[in-house]
Amino acid sequence: MYDVDLIDHMDSINQLLARYGVKFGIYKNNMFHEQLFPFDAIPRVITKAEFDVLEKGLIQRVDALNLFLKDIYGEKKIVKDKVVPEEFIFISKGYLPECERICPPKGIYSHISGIDLVQAKDHSWFILEDNLRIPSGASYPMIARELCRRAAPATFRKNSVVDNRNYAMMLRETMDYVNTGGISVILTPGRYNAAYFEHSYLAERTGSVLAVSSDLFVENNCLYYKDYREQKQRVGVVYRRISDEYLDPLTFLEESLIGVPGIMDAYRAGNVAIVNAPGNGVADDKGIYYFVPKMIRYYLNEEPILKNAPTYLPFYEEDRKYVLEHLDTLVIKDVAEAGGYGVVFGSNLTKEQLSEFKKRIETESRRFIAQEVIDFLDLDIMDEGVPVPRKADLRAFVLSGETTRVWASGLTRFSRNPDSFVVNSSQGGGFKDTWVLSR
Amino acid sequence: MGIISLEKINHLYWLGRYTERVFTTIKSFEGYYDRMIDQDETAYQDFCRRLNIPDIYGSKEAFVEEYVYDEKNPDSLYSNLARAFDNAVILREEISSEVLAYIQMSLDLLKSHGHKQAALLDLQEIVDYLFAFWGSVDDCVENEDCRNIMKCGKYVERLDLYMRLSYDYRRIEKEFSKFLNRLHRIQIWYSTENLGKLTEILNKKERWTEDYYDALNALGGIIEVI
Repeated sequence: MYDVDLIDHMDSINQLLARYGVKFGIYKNNMFHEQLFPFDAIPRVITKAEFDVLEKGLIQRVDALNLFLKDIYGEKKIVKDKVVPEEFIFISKGYLPECERICPPKGIYSHISGIDLVQAKDHSWFILEDNLRIPSGASYPMIARELCRRAAPATFRKNSVVDNRNYAMMLRETMDYVNTGGISVILTPGRYNAAYFEHSYLAERTGSVLAVSSDLFVENNCLYYKDYREQKQRVGVVYRRISDEYLDPLTFLEESLIGVPGIMDAYRAGNVAIVNAPGNGVADDKGIYYFVPKMIRYYLNEEPILKNAPTYLPFYEEDRKYVLEHLDTLVIKDVAEAGGYGVVFGSNLTKEQLSEFKKRIETESRRFIAQEVIDFLDLDIMDEGVPVPRKADLRAFVLSGETTRVWASGLTRFSRNPDSFVVNSSQGGGFKDTWVLSR
Repeated sequence: MGIISLEKINHLYWLGRYTERVFTTIKSFEGYYDRMIDQDETAYQDFCRRLNIPDIYGSKEAFVEEYVYDEKNPDSLYSNLARAFDNAVILREEISSEVLAYIQMSLDLLKSHGHKQAALLDLQEIVDYLFAFWGSVDDCVENEDCRNIMKCGKYVERLDLYMRLSYDYRRIEKEFSKFLNRLHRIQIWYSTENLGKLTEILNKKERWTEDYYDALNALGGIIEVI
């Protein structure tokens, strides 16, 4: 049933991942620890027919989200037409008034979109959330495939798997497309960031310069990289891996030490592209998620190809009533949280906790969304030599440049805990390769 | 030279120094270790004195354990390797994943194999990795100036240790010549005054030891990229 060759080499592949320092960082008790991201050799397999549908649906969704961002920071027609209530826009933490009326180079806001999906037992796919700020994780399947091919070459001779080693090229093309004239830079907060491996690996693979804030400065509304001879190099595109609020201390949090003072002025003047655009958080807010199918209809005049998980907004009275009545069977998400935090399964709550939570939902209705628990299609993972079923999701990467393209791979994360739905690496999950079959 | 910041130059230089510090002290440690087996149980004291590191060990067993593996001992091989790693890990896109892997593997080996096999077996593997590291630097680090900066760091460290450990003058002279070869190719500022002073001292051949401290100071002052 499974590719024995690949499974036989699972330990070797994990050793190779350790060799290349394929890790992620976590903070525990204020100390930084780096952990290996456990790799499971049984791949998620997506057939060509299935991928064709996913590809169309993902392109449609990301195109609509990009139009939404352009609209929100411009004319706001979708609000005026009452498709999305303004309450969900202007009080969202992700909405940045400082980005009003800024048109990014080539009009692209979300250059790299990480769309999280799950597959139900009937094999239908549901979108779980959109990540349009700085979605991470592409580097893991990139390097894992490279190492799998090295450890078990026969596997890739026997199976018609689309080669996914083009991600760096796709990313570079996306960056080049919006480059305003200058070098390409990946801006990292530094080596004690959770995703530092990815920052450095993507810099290596895309041929970009990996920079920290002190390497960059703004002069006459242009961004420059300062080299060792104190000579300045104009920067045309920054793939920044730091959050909006830390990006520019002159515009956002003034105490930020990892940002570049004045970068927003350079961006506003159209002299540098920032990938992804600041302010995208307004579109991947968990509350806005509910409205994405409506956006697709509104902007593209098309029916959504991919479904959202059934979602309720306690903000609406009818939904709130349903949520309060069915809280014990729903999953509740705090819209302000990410990374698997702020997710509560009603079925895990005691009577007292349920009652407490109901009160919070009533008083902070905008803060939460509720979703039906999707009966995930479990994927097998190897556990001490035996395949066992575990919950898993898929982060698909969609790159928007000259055209919108879906990377024929993705990050499949799984929970190692048999009773858990939470697959995030920071919560102890592992990952698999994602195969898209070419026929 | 491509686009590279002063901070990265600093890390390249110190990556060269720390990897070399580990490499040369292992080579020297092997000799002292052998002497401690059946000739002089306190030979490690001379090792500490020459390297100007505190003798906190108390016994040859403690020395082998703590000098090699102890993460908390700032003078241990582990700590020096960790410093090499700290410099290397932020240079991935300059030096490549392949090159970085040899430092990563060395560090992992000391962390995981410690106490499980004889120290010299662990150290032999690390020496192998460090040979491979420098081989892969020549092959994978495309920017010639990056290679030269790293090698300047390597030769400064090697000369420093050879002088401290009283290596034969001919070996010191040979390494000095290699160092000059690299130094003249890099485009960063260096002190011609300190270089002149060191050249003058080493021109005294075997009698260079008369100016031992001046030689060490001059060497340390040639490249100051910190």
